[in-house]
Amino acid sequence: MAAIAELRDLLGSDRVLDDPLERRLYSKDASLMRGDPVCVVFPGDAEQVSAIVRIAARHGLPVIPRGAGTGLTAGASPMTGGIVMSMTGMNTIEIDPDNQAAWVGPGVINLDLSKQARPYGLHFAPDPSSQSACTIGGNLANNSGGPHCLAEGSTTSHVLGLEFVTADGQIHEVGGLAPDQPGLDLRALLVGSEGTLGIATRILVRLLPIADDVRTLLLDFPSVEDAARTVSDVIAAGMVPAALEMMDQRMVMAVENWLGAGLPTDAAAVLLAEVVGSTATVESEASIIAEIGRSNHARNVVIAVESEDRELLWKGRKSAFGAIAQLAPDYYLHDTVVPRTRLVETMAGVYEIADRHDLTMLNVFHAGDGNLHPLIAFDSSDEDVARRVKLAGEEIVDLCLSVGGALSGEHGVGVEKRDLMPSSFSALDLDAQARIKDVFDPDHLLNPAKVLPQGSRCFDFGGVRREVPEGAWV
Amino acid sequence: MGVTSLSDIETKIEGAPEGVHVAPKTVDDVVRVLRWATESGTPVRVWGGGTRQKLGHPPTPGIVLSTGRLSDIEVWEPDDLTVVAGAGIGVDELESRLGEKSQTAVLPEHPGAATLGGVLATGRASLRRARLLGPRERVLEVTMVTGDGRVVRSGGRVVKNVSGFDLHRAAIGAFGSLGVIVQVCLKLWPVPRASATISNADPESVSRITRPLALLETNDAWQLFAWGTPTDIDEIVAKTEGEGRAGLHWPEDPRGSYRWLLRVPPGRTAEAALRVRPWRFLAIHGSGELRLASEDVEGATDLRGWAEDIGGSLVLVDHPGEDAPLDPWGSPPSTLDLQRRLIAEFDPARIVNPGRLPGGL
Ligand SMILES: Cc1cc2nc3c(=O)[nH]c(=O)nc-3n(C[C@H](O)[C@H](O)[C@H](O)COP(=O)(O)OP(=O)(O)OC[C@H]3O[C@@H](n4cnc5c(N)ncnc54)[C@H](O)[C@@H]3O)c2cc1C
Repeated sequence: MAAIAELRDLLGSDRVLDDPLERRLYSKDASLMRGDPVCVVFPGDAEQVSAIVRIAARHGLPVIPRGAGTGLTAGASPMTGGIVMSMTGMNTIEIDPDNQAAWVGPGVINLDLSKQARPYGLHFAPDPSSQSACTIGGNLANNSGGPHCLAEGSTTSHVLGLEFVTADGQIHEVGGLAPDQPGLDLRALLVGSEGTLGIATRILVRLLPIADDVRTLLLDFPSVEDAARTVSDVIAAGMVPAALEMMDQRMVMAVENWLGAGLPTDAAAVLLAEVVGSTATVESEASIIAEIGRSNHARNVVIAVESEDRELLWKGRKSAFGAIAQLAPDYYLHDTVVPRTRLVETMAGVYEIADRHDLTMLNVFHAGDGNLHPLIAFDSSDEDVARRVKLAGEEIVDLCLSVGGALSGEHGVGVEKRDLMPSSFSALDLDAQARIKDVFDPDHLLNPAKVLPQGSRCFDFGGVRREVPEGAWV
Repeated sequence: MGVTSLSDIETKIEGAPEGVHVAPKTVDDVVRVLRWATESGTPVRVWGGGTRQKLGHPPTPGIVLSTGRLSDIEVWEPDDLTVVAGAGIGVDELESRLGEKSQTAVLPEHPGAATLGGVLATGRASLRRARLLGPRERVLEVTMVTGDGRVVRSGGRVVKNVSGFDLHRAAIGAFGSLGVIVQVCLKLWPVPRASATISNADPESVSRITRPLALLETNDAWQLFAWGTPTDIDEIVAKTEGEGRAGLHWPEDPRGSYRWLLRVPPGRTAEAALRVRPWRFLAIHGSGELRLASEDVEGATDLRGWAEDIGGSLVLVDHPGEDAPLDPWGSPPSTLDLQRRLIAEFDPARIVNPGRLPGGL
């Protein structure tokens, strides 16, 4: 293939892979959807990214940026074929302690950044449970969250600037150390755009000081409702803890079976809460949370002070998805968000849906944000089960949207949630989104057919774009 | 000027330039105004509280559109820490309502007549920004009307959401070029029980306080702002050896004929404060934002040059005359072409605050 030869000339043959095994390895992310790429390339800098994009454009090949492939919505799956661009070779870290920031390559692994920042008393706040594998580029593209995004916000709040390459091969830089750069904030659009608007080649992130003191609480409850009500009550009490995570009994059992973190397997639900700040703050906030828990029938409240004890509690939480593998070969999970005041009723509804479809559902989620992760463990080779999983998923989304929720809190839309977008947005809202895509990537070369359902650009008639609309559609 | 179709919402806006003044009562009214303006190619100046009307290159309007009647608090869910309000609500009014339940939207502390929509469209930050970040981190959902009259919503009424591109964040500081903001959902922050304003603190010990609510410097004083539990506050006052006064007593922005915003990398804030000295200033340490006031523009070009060299900017916010004595924004951004093409999709006839952004966009 001519394109591959050109890519080899550019990068050298060891950084262009096209044998069937390699292509298979890069044919999907952590979702269930698989594509088939022409080849996989490993650029080393922005110039090479730009040159690759130009070659791809000349040959009409889509480019699918890829970090670690831990995404859960097929964002990095090459569903339309094309060139998978692995960013893992671009992994330099330059810490800037004076400005509490760092310039990093998109291929830097999330946890590595915090490790390197630690000697300066700093850390990168977004901490997806996949942080030992996922990349900052992937975090940026998905606007990823994590347990500690409750108080600090998702990735978007921690990206100060970036360098990126658009579909025409141009290299741009937006944002920077100084706040509020004059002009439109394009950074806001790039973060969370799932590789569909531009390829991030360098990222300027904010680093936060490591807190003076920390307490991690484990509360166990006789019912999911009690745990959910505790979450609502903590937020209603005017507190934003650093983290507030929930796991139901099935999930706890799976985790315990796998790594024995000491979580109570007889509880219907456990809450993991963390408070940070001065010693006075963490002590008072920990006791308030414990009190709220007890008034909601918590049977047991453990307050971990030492870092080893706290880490063990977190290990149980962060390994949850990994523990599913023992239950079933596949899992399907949603990522809806509901107002925290509606958590109790929504959880009840979600369980009812799984029961009605006779499915095994486990829950581990960012309760403090109202960000649910109902996870259905199943075997996709059983067609009837697969059908019911899909049906239940749609019902869960409908339920969450009906209480004023959102489709995805942190995993992104990708392909998996793409066709559900019209349930969240009007035709005009989607059209506005599609216009943004067209400005950055008019020929839909970068990660095409992701995020926005086909036909989102509703006012494009046969490719003729009307300059001044007549307003017949409002 | 043949705008009888808008006569039902015509009004007189105090202090606004000449033109047809309208105050839409509904989002549909806004649609009507903007469609009419697009069809007739009439520039529209959007008017909130009128506190930032000289910022940028304000156009000579045909229409001045006041958001003043779009000012309801539609939903306030104190237990969810979210609020949905019309763009025209006064920041003072919104914050005092939220204060009734010890909550804040972290908007500017001395907003004057500024409205929620105005503060967001111009990207004005709070003095607490080093700790609680700027307005783009507070907006969860924005409904806007594009220049050509489409009602577009982005985001959602939950605290975390990655469905679609974040148009709602891009609208912050966009001066309406992507759409006139009509309604907003904000993420609130609980206000702790105790707080203090600490002055004459020992600078060495102040630097050891992890993430204070704010550390502000003016020409003649340093002030540390803290909130938390009463024990916390006592501890911080003791640790910094300063004089603590209960409550948050925010300083006013410096006053002068010319008002400026200087932005530098956060680590250069102290250096910037030294450099601007002959002018009055209020520096927000940890954020890189300095608010400045002067009686003339002498030295402005040098200061701007220095700021731009280190990746910052010097923006002229207000001036006494009709025309700004120098480009209010400074060097245009490198992504001008992308910005222009983006705006063209939302405001094809370029009627909302045309030319107001850097680079004459
Ligand atoms: C066990 C497990 C736990 C998880 N826990 C969480 C969690 O707590 N919170 C959370 O938010 N997510 C979580 N995820 C989802 C996933 O880890 C995140 O979305 C992560 O940010 C993806 O990073 P990645 O490097 O693997 O990206 P990939 O999966 O490789 O790619 C993700 C998307 O980013 C795009 N992309 C990658 N690099 C670039 C770049 N340089 N420029 C432009 N686009 C790019 C891709 O095209 C794709 O659309 C979890 C996943 C797993 C498997």
